[in-house]
Amino acid sequence: MSRSQLLAIKYLMAAIAFFGVMTLTGLLSAAYYVKPDLLFGLLHFNIAKILHIDTLIIWLLMGFMGAVYWFLPEEFGREPEGIWLAELLFWVFCAAVLVVALIFIFVQWGPGTEQTLWLFQQGRKYVEAPRWAAIGVATVMLVFAWNIVGTAIKAQRITGIMAILSINTVPLVLLYLVAFPAISNMAVDLYWWWWLVHLWVEATWEILIGCIMALAVMQLLGTSRKIVEGWLYIEVALVLGTGILGLGHHYFWIGTPDYWLGIGGFFSALEPLPLLGMVVHAVYDAGTHRMQTTNKPAFYWTLAEAFGNFLGGGAFGFMITLPQLNLFAHGTQWTVSHGHFAFWGAYACGVISICYIALQKFRALAAVEGRLWIWSFAALNFGLLGMVGSLLVSGMAQAFFERAIGGSTLEAFVATQENPWFVLGMDARLGFGLLFAAGYVALVWDLATLGRRAPVRAVAAPAE
Amino acid sequence: MRFDDPNFWRAGAIATTVVMAVVLIFLTIDSLAAITAGGSHVPPYTVINQAISYAHDSKRNHDMPVIGKDEPLFGRKVDAAEAERLIDKGKLVIQSRACIDCHTFMGNGAYYAPDLTKAWLDPAWDAWMAITEADSKEEAMARFLMEPEKYATWERKMPNLSISRDEAEATVAYLKWLASIDTNGFPIHFGRITVGD
Amino acid sequence: MTPQAFLATSGLLGLFVLAAGVYGVLYGMGRLRESQRLMKAATVAYAALCGIVAAIVLATPLGFGWKLLIGASAAIYYAIPPITWRHLHRTHRDRGAQA
Repeated sequence: MSRSQLLAIKYLMAAIAFFGVMTLTGLLSAAYYVKPDLLFGLLHFNIAKILHIDTLIIWLLMGFMGAVYWFLPEEFGREPEGIWLAELLFWVFCAAVLVVALIFIFVQWGPGTEQTLWLFQQGRKYVEAPRWAAIGVATVMLVFAWNIVGTAIKAQRITGIMAILSINTVPLVLLYLVAFPAISNMAVDLYWWWWLVHLWVEATWEILIGCIMALAVMQLLGTSRKIVEGWLYIEVALVLGTGILGLGHHYFWIGTPDYWLGIGGFFSALEPLPLLGMVVHAVYDAGTHRMQTTNKPAFYWTLAEAFGNFLGGGAFGFMITLPQLNLFAHGTQWTVSHGHFAFWGAYACGVISICYIALQKFRALAAVEGRLWIWSFAALNFGLLGMVGSLLVSGMAQAFFERAIGGSTLEAFVATQENPWFVLGMDARLGFGLLFAAGYVALVWDLATLGRRAPVRAVAAPAE
Repeated sequence: MRFDDPNFWRAGAIATTVVMAVVLIFLTIDSLAAITAGGSHVPPYTVINQAISYAHDSKRNHDMPVIGKDEPLFGRKVDAAEAERLIDKGKLVIQSRACIDCHTFMGNGAYYAPDLTKAWLDPAWDAWMAITEADSKEEAMARFLMEPEKYATWERKMPNLSISRDEAEATVAYLKWLASIDTNGFPIHFGRITVGD
Repeated sequence: MTPQAFLATSGLLGLFVLAAGVYGVLYGMGRLRESQRLMKAATVAYAALCGIVAAIVLATPLGFGWKLLIGASAAIYYAIPPITWRHLHRTHRDRGAQA
């Protein structure tokens, strides 16, 4: 096993651990809606929420990095350049995340000064981590980019997938720089912030996961490189063709000119189209390859990715993406419902799939077997479906009673938060969240004991 | 050129990305001009010296902020430099307390507490002036921000975030300026109850 | 837009994309199993999608341009599964032959 792949296993383990923190703090955030005086005076909703959404970013990022480090030596036939630095930075990254979490829990906030932004809290959604930590994340990503690009230069060869991955590291690093400034004008601040959230998370990450899934499909199903690369180019063309100006659906209400209503609505309406192609592709792969794979969990999680992306990003997104409708639904639990489903489908399922692929080789399993993965797959997906369905009920109630009827005021907000439909949705969300958490526990147990519990048919080269 | 030739799609991917990115850059240049303070959609920070209201604009078919006569905040008219200092400070307070992780601003944030885009215009402040024994809306807002635990709201209470008098005044200034931004009618029907058909 | 019209329009748009998904899945399964019944079911799903588009066009307060966009999307949705399938089939066959 190469050093890069050992590092990949570490990153994937850390990703799964932070997935757990995200789940736990998600449950806590959901619990505040049911019991508002929970931990009052000790730990308020905003801190639980920060931990929930920041660990979401961290675990997915670590999952992607793990996946890339896993495939790099196979793609280039050599260890990545500067792997020693990446190994060192892994521990720095983990330690920094823990320190930031402790600061959030025990310090929480500071006075309204620049020093607070440097030391404790930046208070911008998804990038709340203080600047010193953001510098750390930027450094980790720079080294990650060098590991890919530097290796390609040294190896004097590059595959199509690695070329896309290499080019993608440029916006991946550059867009993250938006995590630093504290622009006073909120309209301008949000304008750039959406470059970080939409173009970073929904464009560069889409390309990153596209490359990762392309490599996964080659390994999982033995699909030829030419086929996979052809599809990857199509995906890049369609995702960026619709997604770059799809950014416009975030510019409806932040003070920007109203031409964004037309541009954002138009390109957002196109966004589900490539996702339908992915669904058809998944059906094709499921039908032609199902019997040949030796790693069913990885395969099923790959399918869940295609369907989840279509439903969460496509169907749930399209309900609220046209400006006339978004005007009512924006900033309600409806957005939360769409966000949970889309992140799950677009990224989380893919990272879990990679974990199974890497573990199969790491533990030298001829086939990944057992039943536990089915339980975790079912509980996580039904839990998620239940959560987004419940949030949809609450979101619809909020858009209807608070916005459309109530006039969007403080009084309308409070009245709707106490509306029986809204309350029902939030209670049910917590229940389904518990099911999701049970699925997470089963997933961890399955990953931890894979190959040690199920019969191993034949063993390939043992891991070092 | 065949559609199943990867080179066709590679060229397509590069061309699409470049075209879309160039269009985005042009739109960004135009949008930034509109949303800079003093631009066509975002008033200068000195707007905090004036009355702000919200009314339906039949030409644009949505609600628009209306800038009125002089109405200095906390009874003090401020110059451009002081207004900018207040807005800078207000934003730092909002970030340092992670307000956006409970509230939303222009619909972006955490949905646990009310949206603050037009909070300055909220009719509830009339009642809050009596509750906080304040003689103005801005004073009521500042008193609430400094000691939220003293005033009964509802079951989701706002915690005391150690906001000083200076910080509270800057935050109120920020919220007043925020309400003056043309947000294309968001949030909808603000301050009006609609009866459905 | 009235509150009721807002909810109805939004629901219809969600169902519109959902119907496209059902159509795509049934089409794929029909081709995979060479089943006429599944292909008919796919046709029914697409007919349902057309019904939803008709409801959007006739019964929602969306502007003409948006309705046109949704109509055009419906036509593209019709073409995506067969085009994707053909492309998949051809590329896999060609590579298989090359191998």
